[in-house]
Amino acid sequence: MQRNRPLSAQAISVLRALAADPARWRYGYDVATEVHLKSGSLYPILVRLADRGLLETSWEPGRGSRPPRHLYRLTLAGREYVAALPAARASGVGRTVPRPHNRWSEA
Amino acid sequence: MPIFIPLMCLLGMGVARFRGYARVVPADPAVRDDVPVRLLRWAAGLLSAQRAGWGQAMLGELGHIDGRGRRWRFAAGCAGAALLLAPSGRAAAAVWAMTVAAAGAAGVYAATIVRYRLGAGDWVFAAVVLVLLAGYTLVASVLLRQPGVALPGLLGGLFIALTWLAPAGYTFYDVIASVTPLWAVLVQVIAVPVLVGVAGTLRGGSAAAGRRIARLAAISAGLYIFLYGTIAVAVLGAGGPPGDPNWTVSAIVDDRLGNNAAFYLWFLPLTTAAIGWAAAAATARVHPRLATTVSSTAASLPLMAAGLAAEGSLSPMTPPQQAERPVHVRNWRRTARLALTCAAVAAILILTAAGWLISGR
Repeated sequence: MQRNRPLSAQAISVLRALAADPARWRYGYDVATEVHLKSGSLYPILVRLADRGLLETSWEPGRGSRPPRHLYRLTLAGREYVAALPAARASGVGRTVPRPHNRWSEA
Repeated sequence: MPIFIPLMCLLGMGVARFRGYARVVPADPAVRDDVPVRLLRWAAGLLSAQRAGWGQAMLGELGHIDGRGRRWRFAAGCAGAALLLAPSGRAAAAVWAMTVAAAGAAGVYAATIVRYRLGAGDWVFAAVVLVLLAGYTLVASVLLRQPGVALPGLLGGLFIALTWLAPAGYTFYDVIASVTPLWAVLVQVIAVPVLVGVAGTLRGGSAAAGRRIARLAAISAGLYIFLYGTIAVAVLGAGGPPGDPNWTVSAIVDDRLGNNAAFYLWFLPLTTAAIGWAAAAATARVHPRLATTVSSTAASLPLMAAGLAAEGSLSPMTPPQQAERPVHVRNWRRTARLALTCAAVAAILILTAAGWLISGR
């Protein structure tokens, strides 16, 4: 059975930022600015969250000479994860929170 | 002089790669194409096919960031993340194996310095060795992301390593001071890398795959033999083949460690990679089936900066509209230039090898 490593504090902060308005699509740079993460830390976290099925992505069409832009928001599993987070962290059972699908090994 | 040959080869490879890259990524005057974009486009092109969408996501985000400093910081961070993203499956196992080999070589190197109480200068040199080992491991991890590279690349490396160790009879004693005949030098330095480059291209099905296999083989061979040679020095110390009687034990060990690093971490990987790389490119040029193959590097390049007029989204990781993939076409002028470059490199290597042998007698 594959096991997921527990998420880092930075990944948790990204999840919390996205959970503030879970229905809204967010830009990566905006999330990075909000949680004070550098791009070099943000994207590996986004990749990991998407691989775990906690994050869904989409594209915003480009405008004029600007290229298309990637958008992010939490999946239902992501919302459940964040909702379970405070209790899970306090009791140390964060690793047992159900995660939809482990695709991190495909990285 | 021999030290500069790999440098020249490396420079030539870099120039050729940049020129080839410029050909497959058309510049669009409507799209900002500054250095951060180019840096990030290069790093994103190193991602595996499964991760190519994330490279496009980074490029797309960069297209909406203004301010020189912010663009630079964002692009540099993303480029670092793209470089360090680890591969998966068999490739991940190969990266771990190479990391263990590199770490083992560094550990044995450091232990030998401590054991023979070598000077501060040796620790500085050890730091350089560590940087080289880390760099090779990083390059190998990037190469291993591409499908079909791991097994032929590592087997090619093993083949090169066995060829280099053959004149020494695979013994610690002879690997420290083996005397290699001229024909064997030519086989090691030219014939074997050419063979690996040609076989890699035919197996990989494209010049890009062949070049990756040749580079991975060169790097892994360097790591294997460096590890072997460093263990040999650690085991034999100042023993083994007699050296200058006026030298102290520390001086002999110091000299042997330095020779190992210069030959196996510098000369061997860079020269072998350059020749294998040229052989792979030449094979793709002359082989009718491969001459028009789309480069997988070109195919995986993020093309968003080429000016995408987007309408709707296809999938979460596919940008709304992809530019058409550029196809390499046969270009005889390039082929001739490539052949001349290969001939020049081969001539330099032959002359250098002959010079060593003559000066050694």
